[in-house]
Amino acid sequence: MNTLSLSSNISISKPVHCLPFSNKQHKPSHMKFVVVSCIATKVKSNEKNLYNILSLSPKSATMDDIKRSYRSMALQYHPDICHDPSMKEECTRMFVKVNAAYETLSNPMLRAEYDCELGLRSRMMSNVGVSEDEKWRRRWQEQVGGLKKRSLRRMGQKGGSWGNRMRTQNMKD
Amino acid sequence: MAEPAYTVASDSETTGEEKSSAFPEIAIGVDIGTSQCSVAVWNGSQVELLKNTRNQKMMRSYVTFKEDIPSGGVSSQLLHEHDLLSGSTIFNMKRLIGRVDTDPVVHASKNLPFLVQTLDIGVRPFIAALVNNMWRSTTPEEVLAIFLVELRAMAEAQLKRPIRDVVLTVPVSFSRFQLTRIERACAMAGLHVLRLMPEPTAVALLYGQHQQQASPDNTDSGSEKIALIFNMGAGYCDVAVTATAGGVSQIKALAGCTIGGEDLLQNMMCHLLPGSQSLFKNHGVKEIKSMGLLRVATQDAIHRLSSQTNVQVDVDLGDGLKICKVIDREEFEEVNKSLFEKCESLIIQCLQDAKVEVEDVSDVIIVGGCSLIPKVKNVVTNIFKGKEPYKGMNPLEAAVCGAAVEGAVASGINDPFGNLDLLTIQATPHAIGIRANGNNFIPLIPRNSTMPARKDVVFTTTHDNQTEALIIVYEGEGKKAEENNMLGYFKISGIPRAAKGVPEINVCMDIDAANVLRVLAGVVMPGCRQPAIPVMEVRMPTVDDGHGWCTEALNRSYGGRLDLVTVEKKA
Repeated sequence: MNTLSLSSNISISKPVHCLPFSNKQHKPSHMKFVVVSCIATKVKSNEKNLYNILSLSPKSATMDDIKRSYRSMALQYHPDICHDPSMKEECTRMFVKVNAAYETLSNPMLRAEYDCELGLRSRMMSNVGVSEDEKWRRRWQEQVGGLKKRSLRRMGQKGGSWGNRMRTQNMKD
Repeated sequence: MAEPAYTVASDSETTGEEKSSAFPEIAIGVDIGTSQCSVAVWNGSQVELLKNTRNQKMMRSYVTFKEDIPSGGVSSQLLHEHDLLSGSTIFNMKRLIGRVDTDPVVHASKNLPFLVQTLDIGVRPFIAALVNNMWRSTTPEEVLAIFLVELRAMAEAQLKRPIRDVVLTVPVSFSRFQLTRIERACAMAGLHVLRLMPEPTAVALLYGQHQQQASPDNTDSGSEKIALIFNMGAGYCDVAVTATAGGVSQIKALAGCTIGGEDLLQNMMCHLLPGSQSLFKNHGVKEIKSMGLLRVATQDAIHRLSSQTNVQVDVDLGDGLKICKVIDREEFEEVNKSLFEKCESLIIQCLQDAKVEVEDVSDVIIVGGCSLIPKVKNVVTNIFKGKEPYKGMNPLEAAVCGAAVEGAVASGINDPFGNLDLLTIQATPHAIGIRANGNNFIPLIPRNSTMPARKDVVFTTTHDNQTEALIIVYEGEGKKAEENNMLGYFKISGIPRAAKGVPEINVCMDIDAANVLRVLAGVVMPGCRQPAIPVMEVRMPTVDDGHGWCTEALNRSYGGRLDLVTVEKKA
């Protein structure tokens, strides 16, 4: 049972090549929930990169790419697709992450902010080629962007939702 | 004593462990409308609507109480429309279910030809049918359960297998409390609810299937089609904006309200007979008969006005009360002007919430019984600058067909032609949060959040050495807590003594894909990674009737002693 859940965890994580599992694969004595928490720690170090979550290249990803990737990830991780009850929790966790990444990257304003944070482009550059219409949109969304960024950073620090950590912890005890 | 028409199965959590068949059971789709109802199922290659013994696909939603055995609109042979309105028949249960007697919708239902009594104190209304000149009390859940038993028997007879799993469509504006009442009625009828789908999202799923069938290999294409779905039935009006590509339908926004054909009808009844409400106040046998006659005549007039520009209403209500009037379409539209304006603003709000411009919408889908009314069609198409509505769907069957498709998808059925390779990414129709910062509503999961959703917010104590805190969970859009629907409450105790503002009280809300809401709460003291007390996990809603009372009682007993405030996040 343990090995089964372990291997399925790994197979599900394959397409997200930001998750290096190699060192975690050989711990068969661990309980399933420990494995879950390992994933959380692993993701944590990469959490900052939303592009990795959606398997996208930060430089070249177009809006269509982002949407397409979101859909294919949804078809993989949405709990409705997953008919194995033991995997539901893990799928839900992944889907929530995929969704958070999508919400930031599919919003030009939030994406620009996020790219700045990653150091991919300067704030000046991010405004190049943007229509007037888009600019005012950005301005009013700035506030929202700030909030979003803060919460993302907080998530990054803590490694996933607090509820999850608590649940995991409770189950270990 | 006759056998009860339904069995009280323990509600919820009755898992289908006794599944012996190698084939997964396909859940049926059920659309319980305020006025009409239908059942559909995936037959292996397409959706098929089931018919009753009278060869009807659409069955009237009502239950008649006569002698000992109640009978519903699925099986009973209705002699005349007037029999339906003699006081012994309960209908419109979808408008009444899960509402308290202070609700304006319940008050509007007092004009129906059966007994709806209110005490206006926030408890469930008293509902009764006239049987042998006696008022026999019932509940909307009971009426719905009796009706569902008939539907189930009909489906079982036709499909020649036991039916257990169902996907039901529900109005967008239903509160979580109302959803539990629907589940309760299903449990009474021995049915297990696999999914409760907001009606326009069932239509969105069907639309997604149409798109997939039209161009099956666009999975890889990034271009998505945005559709607006407007659904108006007898009891409710719903709007959804969906983005569809490659079989994935993402619900971008939902909006709904309690406006439907019933309101149009009541406005018209008032127009035809001013003061009709007070006239029928006493619910005498004679008055019920007059009320029924007026109702039938008005309904008929509204139906005819969909194809004619004017109609003659000629009805003798007895006691020398006669109505003889010509009504034209403009008059009907004028009388209901405010309702149509509300529909318009609902669509505009939904588009804004979805951050979609009118020009971005590729298809406008108008469904539901009221879609046949020319003015309704006009209101919608005017917003979209005269764009022709989507033609590929039967407006009366779209929701039930969508529910049947979801039933097949959720049951894990595969289709060799890929017709079931579909996914609907649902969104929350209402914000969910807790009471904090005084009497304010602090949403944790905003409206139109993608499901499954998980959000957590840190709160803290308002008093020094506060060892207990009350978590009161609400659903709605109001700024003040009491403007929203209360879903439940629980107390955290054992908070270590500390100055106010020091303990970190984490509240996490979790909605899974099946729309089950769980609220988790725990206490962490600064500098500790371990929670100070065991985390509490509560499935919501927990309240039963009279939730308004609970808030008052809690306030009376505790005042602000157990209050919480939000914590400014340290970035």
